[in-house]
Amino acid sequence: MISVRRKLAAVAAAVLVVLLPAAPAAAYEPVNIVHTEQVQAGPYAVTVGFSEWPLRAMQSLDFTFIPAGGIAGKSGRLLLDGPGIDADHADRVLARHPRKLDVWGLDVVSLAKAGGYTIGFRIDGPQGPAEGRTQPLPVLAQPGPPLALSWAICAIPIAGLIVFLVVAWRRARPSANLVPLAD
Amino acid sequence: MPRPSAGVLGAAAVLLGTGTSLAGIVWDVQWHVDVGPDTFFTLSHLMLYSGSAIAGLAALAMVLRATFAQRAGRTADPAEGGRTVRVLKFDAPLGYLIAGAGAAMFLLYGLMDLWWHTVYGFDADLGSPPHVALFSSITVTMVGSVIVFGYARDRRWGRIGLVVSLPILMTFSPLMLNALAELPAPFDIEIVSAAFFCTLSMLLAAGITGRPAYAIRVAAVLGAMQLALWFFAPWASHSYASMVNLPLRDGLGDAPPELPSATPMFLLVAAAVGAGVLAYGRRAGMSMRLLPQLAGAVGGLVLAFSLDLQVPLVGNGPLAAPGTLVADALAGLLFGALAGFLAWRFAGLLRGESRKPIAIVVPGPAVQGGLA
Repeated sequence: MISVRRKLAAVAAAVLVVLLPAAPAAAYEPVNIVHTEQVQAGPYAVTVGFSEWPLRAMQSLDFTFIPAGGIAGKSGRLLLDGPGIDADHADRVLARHPRKLDVWGLDVVSLAKAGGYTIGFRIDGPQGPAEGRTQPLPVLAQPGPPLALSWAICAIPIAGLIVFLVVAWRRARPSANLVPLAD
Repeated sequence: MPRPSAGVLGAAAVLLGTGTSLAGIVWDVQWHVDVGPDTFFTLSHLMLYSGSAIAGLAALAMVLRATFAQRAGRTADPAEGGRTVRVLKFDAPLGYLIAGAGAAMFLLYGLMDLWWHTVYGFDADLGSPPHVALFSSITVTMVGSVIVFGYARDRRWGRIGLVVSLPILMTFSPLMLNALAELPAPFDIEIVSAAFFCTLSMLLAAGITGRPAYAIRVAAVLGAMQLALWFFAPWASHSYASMVNLPLRDGLGDAPPELPSATPMFLLVAAAVGAGVLAYGRRAGMSMRLLPQLAGAVGGLVLAFSLDLQVPLVGNGPLAAPGTLVADALAGLLFGALAGFLAWRFAGLLRGESRKPIAIVVPGPAVQGGLA
């Protein structure tokens, strides 16, 4: 029993040795805005920040939405429109950016398809409710290899499992002798 | 107390690995929903990586053990992972070969995922190609685990492992089936594919053991697992957020835990009906050429309909339109019949009712026996 405990302690110590150097790497990246656009929603001027520019399909980035005077005392909804936006994501609550809590935003979000997208806001604040949108923002074609090639490479595990089952089936012909139920 | 055999330890270690992977992904998905920020080294990611590492190392150990046993002239016990298959210079028990291949692919696609994030950013998109490949690799390991326990069906530990390994695979399956969601279909493809996969899994347990009651046992374990994960997912993500001083997202509301709420809540009903059809058909002397399809059709119908009801019940959205409900139920019936057909034949592959030898991966001349 003691030897089992010793072994477990050794395993736990080994795990700690492996994980401890990883701790400094666990720091969360700051939100680094490289481009901004302005939106006028009634009396509210909103600065939209992007951590990547130009925008490309499928490439994820941070968005920040900063109303003049800050978000205190204001609430609202984020209105997205474009070829890669489905009904579930077209209209949602304006929430604080999880890594930049003094502004609204979206963390590491990608736009699925290339084309023109608008970003709009329905804001309620001290000067009453108001709504406004950006002009259509261009989202360029996806980076990286063609998607079909990526999918072909990434389908290998499941294709391998299917091939295994087909080969096993052809050799063993399970239909010829079906499993009976026990009494 | 007798010492557990190497067969039990190897199978238990692979099962521990798959269970760790499942808990890791349930935690990680909930983390992204409730909190958000991501790094390579979040605790949920480490849990996910260690699941495949545990399963892969256990599978490797069992392959080496079988190889050395073979070289020493001892015959490998088929209950310890299945008949051996010669791969390169190793004699690999089939179940461990598949579980290990899944873990090895997880490692390779992990590297591809790292490269993907350098091109596309650190997206949390479950449906990206490398993420689907990683989930497929874990699925392959989970299938290997089911095969390991399937071959040990004559042992008590084998049957216990079977009714735990199948629910782990079933709970994990929405991550894989999610990739089908974009395909055009006249019914809700996520609902019907879940009904198909769960019907296949529970009838596979009945087929491997030859006992209808095992479908019900699988459903009962799945229910217990769902209940445990229902509490674990928010607890783990909220506790971790508090530990690293991150706030929960604004406007979370009272949405149910993401993955546990996708697990069928009424599988016990579907399993009871399916097992009832099997038991009745056996007493009535029905042919096994028809009976599994019949049990599958009824089980698939109940599951598809109950999964549609589950959506508003757990607060995941409104009830589908009547036309969709009918289309889903009909598709559930048809795909359920297909699941019954396949389940009984996959069970036949494992039980080895046909003794014809099979070559799975044969780089060399020697194939050590059949699939059974």
